[in-house]
Amino acid sequence: MDFNFNEEQSLLLDGAERFIRESYSLEQRRHLAASDEGFSRDNWKLFAELGWLALVLPEDADGLNCSLIEVTALMTALGRGPLLEPYVSTAILSAHLIDKAGDAAMRQSVLPAIGAGEIIAAFAHDEDNGAGLGNEKLSTKAEKSDGGYRLTGRKTMALGGASADKFIISAMLDGKVALFLADRNMAGLRVTPYPLIDHSRAADISFDDMALPVEALLGAGDDNGAIISEALDRATYAYLAEAVGCMESCLEVCSDYLKTRHQFKQPLGNFQALQHIMADMFVEAQEARSMLYFLLSRMDGDADERRKAISLAKIAIGEGSFFVAAQSIQLHGGYGVTDEYVVSHYYRRLMTIKKLFGDVEHHLDQLPLAE
Amino acid sequence: MQFTFDQRHEDFRQEVRSFITEHITPELQQRTREHGYFGNKEDMIGWLKLLNSKGWGVPSWPVEHGGCDWTPLQHYIFSEEHTRADAPGLPFGLYHMIGPVIYKYASQALQDKLLGPMREGDITFAQGFSEPGSGSDLAALSTQAVREGDEYIVNGQKIWTSGAFESEWLFCLVKTDTSVKPQRGISFLVFPLDSEGVTIRQIPQIDGDAHLCEVFMQDVRVPADNLVGEEGMGWTYAKSLLDGERTGSAYIFWSKRELAKAREIARKEMVNGTALIDMPAYRHRFARLEAQLTALEFSVLRVLADEDFKYPISTIASSLKLRGSKLQQMVTQLLMDCLGAKGLRQIPREEYGAIAAANDPLWPDHMLGATPNALIMRAATIYGGARQIQKTIVAKSAFHL
Repeated sequence: MDFNFNEEQSLLLDGAERFIRESYSLEQRRHLAASDEGFSRDNWKLFAELGWLALVLPEDADGLNCSLIEVTALMTALGRGPLLEPYVSTAILSAHLIDKAGDAAMRQSVLPAIGAGEIIAAFAHDEDNGAGLGNEKLSTKAEKSDGGYRLTGRKTMALGGASADKFIISAMLDGKVALFLADRNMAGLRVTPYPLIDHSRAADISFDDMALPVEALLGAGDDNGAIISEALDRATYAYLAEAVGCMESCLEVCSDYLKTRHQFKQPLGNFQALQHIMADMFVEAQEARSMLYFLLSRMDGDADERRKAISLAKIAIGEGSFFVAAQSIQLHGGYGVTDEYVVSHYYRRLMTIKKLFGDVEHHLDQLPLAE
Repeated sequence: MQFTFDQRHEDFRQEVRSFITEHITPELQQRTREHGYFGNKEDMIGWLKLLNSKGWGVPSWPVEHGGCDWTPLQHYIFSEEHTRADAPGLPFGLYHMIGPVIYKYASQALQDKLLGPMREGDITFAQGFSEPGSGSDLAALSTQAVREGDEYIVNGQKIWTSGAFESEWLFCLVKTDTSVKPQRGISFLVFPLDSEGVTIRQIPQIDGDAHLCEVFMQDVRVPADNLVGEEGMGWTYAKSLLDGERTGSAYIFWSKRELAKAREIARKEMVNGTALIDMPAYRHRFARLEAQLTALEFSVLRVLADEDFKYPISTIASSLKLRGSKLQQMVTQLLMDCLGAKGLRQIPREEYGAIAAANDPLWPDHMLGATPNALIMRAATIYGGARQIQKTIVAKSAFHL
């Protein structure tokens, strides 16, 4: 049993932390958040050069074929930003769907382009009535037609969708969950982008009888429920790793603040009431990382075990991260609720991660009744 | 990174499991379940002797003193398998804590006298640290030991001396010098509890039991040879004893076992024909606890597998204690809550056998010991460094506040 990163993984971690230190000061982050796309295309190019975008891609698609351990190193570091670039939605989530469900031609045309930073992709899966958390109740429909397929439906909260070049769309085809790849500028595809509270961007897309060519279908029309579930779980994993990094960063920011801010002629850190809040935050951050490692240990095994571990982790890290984020604001007093202090950014990012792919209540219901 | 036990450890797990299966009896398991946290002394000593036959009686001690040269993960597996099987624990805390002080610091003569009988379970120790006037502020203790010739004359009072009434010896922090800084004037004495001048009072507890004790010492004559190490070094020894405890205070196996027991009960207990396990409110409590216990288990493994932490190990240990003690309370309370109003009945321990034998569906045997356990667990966030003390330790050691 070994909980340490190896040398290469440590280098990846150090590199990502350096990137955040140099390129993600609060000022820089706020500047990026207010820009047209809400993130930096230069950063995106850099991610391609550093190999981050090809990290988990397979070797036959010019990828580095890394495991989720490397994703852990990278995402815990990027959580310190927290990052605005649509990294997970493209390089973890969409890449996995194409890799596992796409045929050889699609894999060869899309995956290396994702790795090279030429394509931003988004998964358009969620729908009205909460469909998407369980993918059997999709109302988006696909039908075979001359020379391809026709799709009708509405999708919401496609992460990274605001800047996506391509959308992977889930739809019911002959009673099975099928996946289609559509270019953003496909005739009949309407994209409505919007910002989320954490300054990341998502989009709704809608399409009414949109025609897609035969090649747009991923795979041979097999049911993709299991692949989607796995892809969402891997994305969840990456976001939870980001959350852990974000929580640990909260600890550092808050302990620094308590040492510098003075009231009653002494540093805030002298007050035991505040010390004890920091201790509670420490425990939550420690437990969150432990939970992340537990989840990591279950990610490559049996699907039911993985699903259960995902729910346990979403519950524990969801509640722990909310505690840490909320207390971080409390410790900063009024400044904590301003956009000019990083704790409010951490709070919004952690809140976002908590709610993505099912909030705590959803996962409390997901756990099997009896064990 | 690698999160599985290697083959050597898996083999060891099988070996421990087989040993336990071979020797455990249903009666022993039932008593272990009922006795809860403090355990049943007689069963523990009996089990210790069994383990000795296998060479496993004092595994954490050095090999030359009869210990096993195990990895931290082997110790973990050993405890986990015992708890999972409802096998009696060793009087482990004490062997774990006083044992090391004796073999590290005591004179050769004292070691020769004590270590053998300790291994055999013929001498068990109670811990005489706290006093009525010195709880969290341990250095403020006032029990005095005055040197007269080749004896110390001990006068004072200890409290929270768990199991003193059924222990043979006391290890005791005493003041031997009142002229120096409190920590420098403390010495570590050991002596038999049947010494003249020792009076023991069992304190009736919230759970109806009386395991905690007060020990009164009036002109107790202790041979100077019973001083452990040097005079004035007691504080250092006691601290090394407490610091040795890194992951044990998480009580992870125990809480996991209690949660499993609670789940069994929730499958049987009903409200209006619905099993509790099918009621969302209960299910969600189980789910939350399982999530937190799963995380804590990995927190323990991270320490045992020697993760390279960014924070001092003492911070991590306090963090485990903070979360572990809270979960002990939450799990035992959930178990009690699953019994509904039945859990309110006060049942003396002597009646457990009759109630179990009656097989009355109104009073099932799974309730025995549940309520006392939940009640006494309020102490989990008090003993071994109260919750608030632990929080201050974390804040200071992790963040230098």
